[in-house]
Amino acid sequence: MFTTIPGSDLPYHVKTSSKITVVGVGNVGMACAQTCVTEGLVDELALVDIQADKLRGEMLDLQHAAAFLPRVNIMADSDYAVSEGSDICIVTAGARQREGESRLSLLGRNLSLFKSIIPQLVRYSPDTILLIVSNPVDILTYLSWKISGFPPNRVIGTGTNLDSSRLRFLIADKFDVNAHNVHGYMVGEHGDSSVPLWSTLTIANMPVLSICDKDGVKYSRESLQELHKMVVGGAYEVIKLKGYTSWAIGYSTASLVKSLLRDQRRIHPVSVLAKGFYGIDKDVYLSLPSQLGRAGVLGVASVQMIEEERRKLHESSETIWDIQNQLQI
Amino acid sequence: MHSGSRFLRQASSRLLYGFGRSQLHLRPGFTLSILNSSMSNRQDEGLSAFARRMHASGTNLEQHTPNSIFSRIPGSEIPQHKIKHSAKVTVVGVGNVGMACAQTMLSAGLLNELALVDVLEDRLQGELLDLQHSAAFLPRVKIVADTDYGVSADSDICIVTAGARQREGESRIDLLDRNVNLFKKIIPELVRHSPDTILLIVSNPVDILAYVSWKLSGLPPNRVIGSGTNLDSSRLRSLLADKFEVSALNVHGYIIGEHGDNSVPLWSSLSVANVPVLNFHDKKGVQYNKETLEEFHKAVVKSAYEVIRLKGYTSWAIGFSVASIVKSLLRDQMHVHPVSVLANSFYGIDYDVFLSLPAQLGSAGVLGIANLPITEDEAQRLQNSAKILRGMLDKSKMQ
Repeated sequence: MFTTIPGSDLPYHVKTSSKITVVGVGNVGMACAQTCVTEGLVDELALVDIQADKLRGEMLDLQHAAAFLPRVNIMADSDYAVSEGSDICIVTAGARQREGESRLSLLGRNLSLFKSIIPQLVRYSPDTILLIVSNPVDILTYLSWKISGFPPNRVIGTGTNLDSSRLRFLIADKFDVNAHNVHGYMVGEHGDSSVPLWSTLTIANMPVLSICDKDGVKYSRESLQELHKMVVGGAYEVIKLKGYTSWAIGYSTASLVKSLLRDQRRIHPVSVLAKGFYGIDKDVYLSLPSQLGRAGVLGVASVQMIEEERRKLHESSETIWDIQNQLQI
Repeated sequence: MHSGSRFLRQASSRLLYGFGRSQLHLRPGFTLSILNSSMSNRQDEGLSAFARRMHASGTNLEQHTPNSIFSRIPGSEIPQHKIKHSAKVTVVGVGNVGMACAQTMLSAGLLNELALVDVLEDRLQGELLDLQHSAAFLPRVKIVADTDYGVSADSDICIVTAGARQREGESRIDLLDRNVNLFKKIIPELVRHSPDTILLIVSNPVDILAYVSWKLSGLPPNRVIGSGTNLDSSRLRSLLADKFEVSALNVHGYIIGEHGDNSVPLWSSLSVANVPVLNFHDKKGVQYNKETLEEFHKAVVKSAYEVIRLKGYTSWAIGFSVASIVKSLLRDQMHVHPVSVLANSFYGIDYDVFLSLPAQLGSAGVLGIANLPITEDEAQRLQNSAKILRGMLDKSKMQ
């Protein structure tokens, strides 16, 4: 059912106390930090950013919540030494999408930033798992993998975890069920060329293409495309209205952190080294349904794809590969 | 009417250990007889739907004996049977504080329905969508938003965070007049759509605005609460927890009075693992007397200003604080929180003013105020706190 990523280094023993570092205390970073803390996932939290005042203010605000939370050690510094010994390093730093700007165009602005961030994280936590959130997430995760020299199971991008969840919510709404009873993945690029796997999307274990929603509407692939557009457009819409997204990505990241730290062996569509899977022959990171545990990506699920889905996945990988080449990563 | 000397003796012996010869000041209370007569008259008048849900046999209010732990706020309307609720909360104001409150309540799984109200349409819609996109990670919740208060109908709790926020260096009192006018628009709308709701005021200056909300709403005082010193007390407990290297859950104590520069830390009832802190000598010979403890209090008062100076506003801590209050209300926890309540008749305060006292919270709102003995000195500070707040009210556009 699962295939390990070639080059993986999967250890046998794991330690018990948990520390995570969040790099970047903007809206996304703080939503991730606060949600992880709220869910009782960490014993230690380190925040790193270059803006000293904002960093200290955010640290204090979280520390002031101490009496409402299980005991957590919260620290912050612009010096990466504070991140030492982290089980997971979450990178949210970088320029964010402006209104109407695609994730790929952010890339140039974030390349050099990552060249200064990743080596520092690796230096202080050589055994850590890197979890990249900054956009464009697939390319920046690939970059992080290259710079860090880590085995690929320890470098992950948040990828389409949130997109898939958004899709499941929209479908759950249409069919009047709980989102937890909708099972399905969006794979490929976290962005405009993402691929919804309709052929394996089920509601209460029934294929979505075979049942009617609460209004008696039976869905075809075309009408489902509308839902896909809504998911892809979802982030742009939130950015246009409130300037950025934060809450949803915070919950999404926390769910990944939980699966990793608590060795949940749970499947998430996240950005992983995709070469060798589904006929992809390029050195790219993109989202595939992956099993996550304490050692990182334990394997990629062998979800059946129909020809059209495979083709779209390849197109997704070509898009990413082209850009990586253009920017000579 | 003072309670009998038996209570005084019991209270003294409880507190003399480690405190030396502190003077005890008792809370002069209204007795049940006064409450009873006012309640029985009410039954013939037009009662709110809320009050009509009271037990048919009349006013079975608990006996207010001198030894009771809690005393009702005069004017409270507290039904006898379980209040059914749907766990719907409205948050007015989707700024940093409002959204932190909303998101923390969602994370805590407290709600079946969340309504957001604000005047800024785009921001409101954006925050709504961002939360809705989180749906797959949360238990099923209905999340709605509108500039029209109709969306808030039938809320169990209405949380008001709207209003100008403190500028750097600005005290909470300076915000006052900017916010009173805003509340004149907000509060009547909330009550119109949710006549049975509990109002939870967060906007600063919270004690004044809680009073304003009470006046504007016409609700009984048990259903109007300010977030008050709930967070201040928690900050104090965390600081002491760090100092004594224990969990904050094992530090017991309250800051009461004004949520602000004139708050009153109750050193006389502060304990760590039930060991009184006042005049405690630690291993290094450090004595925790009023002077050394005052440093902790100062740190608490300063802390919000510091966060505002550094990041522009506070959000996470107040979000958690409000969620803890909401949990006690929605889940009928009967948990005691220092929150801003109508303090008339408590601790020598004999006029209408809202300030924080240790209040037991449940689904009917403020079930009662703890009859916590405090020292003469603490009572004096509390009364000063009350005088200052009453002074502000007299000067403001609210009578």
